[in-house]
Amino acid sequence: MKFIVSSSVLLKNLQNINGVVATNPIVPILENFLFRLEDGTLTVTASDLQTTMTTQIPVESSDNGAIAIPAKLLLDTLRSLPEQPVTFNIDTDTFGTEILTDNGRYKLSGENPIDFPKLPTVNKNLAVELTSDALLGAINNTVFATSTDDLRPAMTGVYLQLSDDNATFVATDGHRLIRYRRTDLNSSANTSMIIPRKALQLLKSSLPENVPVKAEFSQANASFSFGPTQLICRLIDERFPDYENAIPTNNPNVMTIGRTDLLNSLKRIMIYANRTTHQIRLSLKTNSLTISAEDLDYSNEANEKLLCDYDGDAMEIGFNAKLMSEMLSNLSARMISLELSAPNRAGLLIPADKEENEDILMLVMPVMLNTYA
Amino acid sequence: MQLYTKAIGEVETAPYRKIIHVDMDAFFASVEQRDNPDLRGKPVAVGGSRERGVVAAASYEARQYGVRSAMSSLVAIRKCPHLIFVKPRFEVYKAVSAQIRAIFAQYTDLIEPLSLDEAYLDVTERTNADLTATQIAQAIKERIREETQLTASAGVSYNKFLAKLASDYRKPDGLFVIKPHQGLAFVEQLTVGQFHGVGRVTAEKMNQLGIFTGLDLRQQTEAFLIRHFGKVGHHYYSIARAIDDRPVTANRVRKSVGSENTFAHDLTEEPELLAGLEPLIDDVWAYCERTGVYGRTVTIKVKYADFQQITRSRTALTILNTRSALHHVSTDLLTTVLPLPKPVRLLGVSISNLDTVTTSANGQLALDL
Repeated sequence: MKFIVSSSVLLKNLQNINGVVATNPIVPILENFLFRLEDGTLTVTASDLQTTMTTQIPVESSDNGAIAIPAKLLLDTLRSLPEQPVTFNIDTDTFGTEILTDNGRYKLSGENPIDFPKLPTVNKNLAVELTSDALLGAINNTVFATSTDDLRPAMTGVYLQLSDDNATFVATDGHRLIRYRRTDLNSSANTSMIIPRKALQLLKSSLPENVPVKAEFSQANASFSFGPTQLICRLIDERFPDYENAIPTNNPNVMTIGRTDLLNSLKRIMIYANRTTHQIRLSLKTNSLTISAEDLDYSNEANEKLLCDYDGDAMEIGFNAKLMSEMLSNLSARMISLELSAPNRAGLLIPADKEENEDILMLVMPVMLNTYA
Repeated sequence: MQLYTKAIGEVETAPYRKIIHVDMDAFFASVEQRDNPDLRGKPVAVGGSRERGVVAAASYEARQYGVRSAMSSLVAIRKCPHLIFVKPRFEVYKAVSAQIRAIFAQYTDLIEPLSLDEAYLDVTERTNADLTATQIAQAIKERIREETQLTASAGVSYNKFLAKLASDYRKPDGLFVIKPHQGLAFVEQLTVGQFHGVGRVTAEKMNQLGIFTGLDLRQQTEAFLIRHFGKVGHHYYSIARAIDDRPVTANRVRKSVGSENTFAHDLTEEPELLAGLEPLIDDVWAYCERTGVYGRTVTIKVKYADFQQITRSRTALTILNTRSALHHVSTDLLTTVLPLPKPVRLLGVSISNLDTVTTSANGQLALDL
């Protein structure tokens, strides 16, 4: 089996799907890319059993066939080669693979393509068309807040709820929760699922801007197709926690402030906070916010006073500045509101100026202040 | 640290520690016999109901019939048909235990209680030319007899391992001393089963390897023991040389909290099991709420009707400081043993890797999800 392909085109396509390849896969064959050549089109597949990505590249060839090629070795080779057409010469009996270039000849041993796991099929129960920008918006706003705790598998992914008039994406790690809603995306199917974090992170890094994306969902799998690329992932088969009940409804104390002012202040004050707890203190009085932090271990302390719009009760509340700044950086609104009820109840971060078709709610649990007083 | 590298027979130059191990004789059973003259001289077992219980302690009369603690009550009755069962009265045992510890405290501050009826004492600092460790042990035994009308056995030696062997050597009401120059010889003549920490299974394995006595054990290389017994092989290598550097540590910190229950009838159905788990989680959670100490690791214990016992445990990234988190992990662990291969007799839940909110989660509140 023989084909000719541009080194840079192949590299770009492989890099798009290489994130799937695990460093230490359960099955050794998964350290490989699966190459399948058919009628002048090379289909490359990478998989970690949970997530599978494929991409298609037109190549110059009259052969058909398949081979599994070590991903790292191949990528390292392509990265170091100057742009040029390269020829792959593959012995389909021994799986020996020869790469011929202007610079020289490289030989590596492939593996039997039969051993590569079959691509899961998504029974097209439900198909949704959307733009990559809408999908990226949803991913960027939620995936950072997913949990890495495998003890709560439901929380290691983003919950997607599709209904007649909107699509809601929810992520939580137990300390904060993001609800991202889009009204330009809906489905009469009224269904919900949990999409694993890794799949979403892969989408985040491989989705181009402003292209149509076709999302298909079945009971067990989800598939996202864009351009020549497709990602198929197994959904997390768990019940997502009842998040609606965790969102407090009565929050009479509302502060409105410029997002970047608050974020920049937090970033400065954080430097003086305890390095493991990142605990900062917000003191709210009428139209004034004082942010302070102290690190008793090093006798460091800092405080800043900011103007804001606030007419609620005077209040002192503690937060983890790392969580809060992460949330603020992910928002793009100019003004945000922080809605509070009590120092031991969740705070809600809500953009004051909303984007079209978008509704974002971020919730963060406070830190009890008396622990360092 | 040097002790481990020392060759056999080399004279130890460092001053020896003086360790006493005190162990009450058939503690629970003796307390019952003390408080109820009708029980004296008779085979008594302290334990739960005859049907499902286990023997918590057996009097010496009962031990003659082969009744042992931790034996199921049914087996105990088969061995000794006229065995008298007495319900345990833990408040009384705790009170007596406090009395004994008060006596220990008059001799040293370095007391490491192992249970209600057993403790190591390091009296190195208290001994001098006029008062030997043996005399202290003798005095403690006498005070215990006077104040509680109960007998204790004491072992005196230069490390914990030997002190414990010594207290066991002349039970009941015994006092035995293993002096530094006798340590090796004493260990040599023991069968491996007599070593503390070598159970029936390990003893059998050792026998299969041709190791029957302490002397046989000492003739093995450390590498050999580690190859066959893993990490604990290192410990075997040391104790076969009568070496044990573990200090007597007062105020041992609690490492785990658990609750378990033997059910009135064996459970076979999943809903029954899950329901059986709830009160145990409640118990553990009640401890967490009362003390502010939470666990990061959850272990569930399942004992089947045939007494085969398995445990499953899992460690979370952060401490489990909500009941729902504890509940989630516990039930999740339980489902890993489903479907049940056989009926379940006992369930247990425990938490370890304990920590307080203030030191680990630093006051960060969690969503109740």
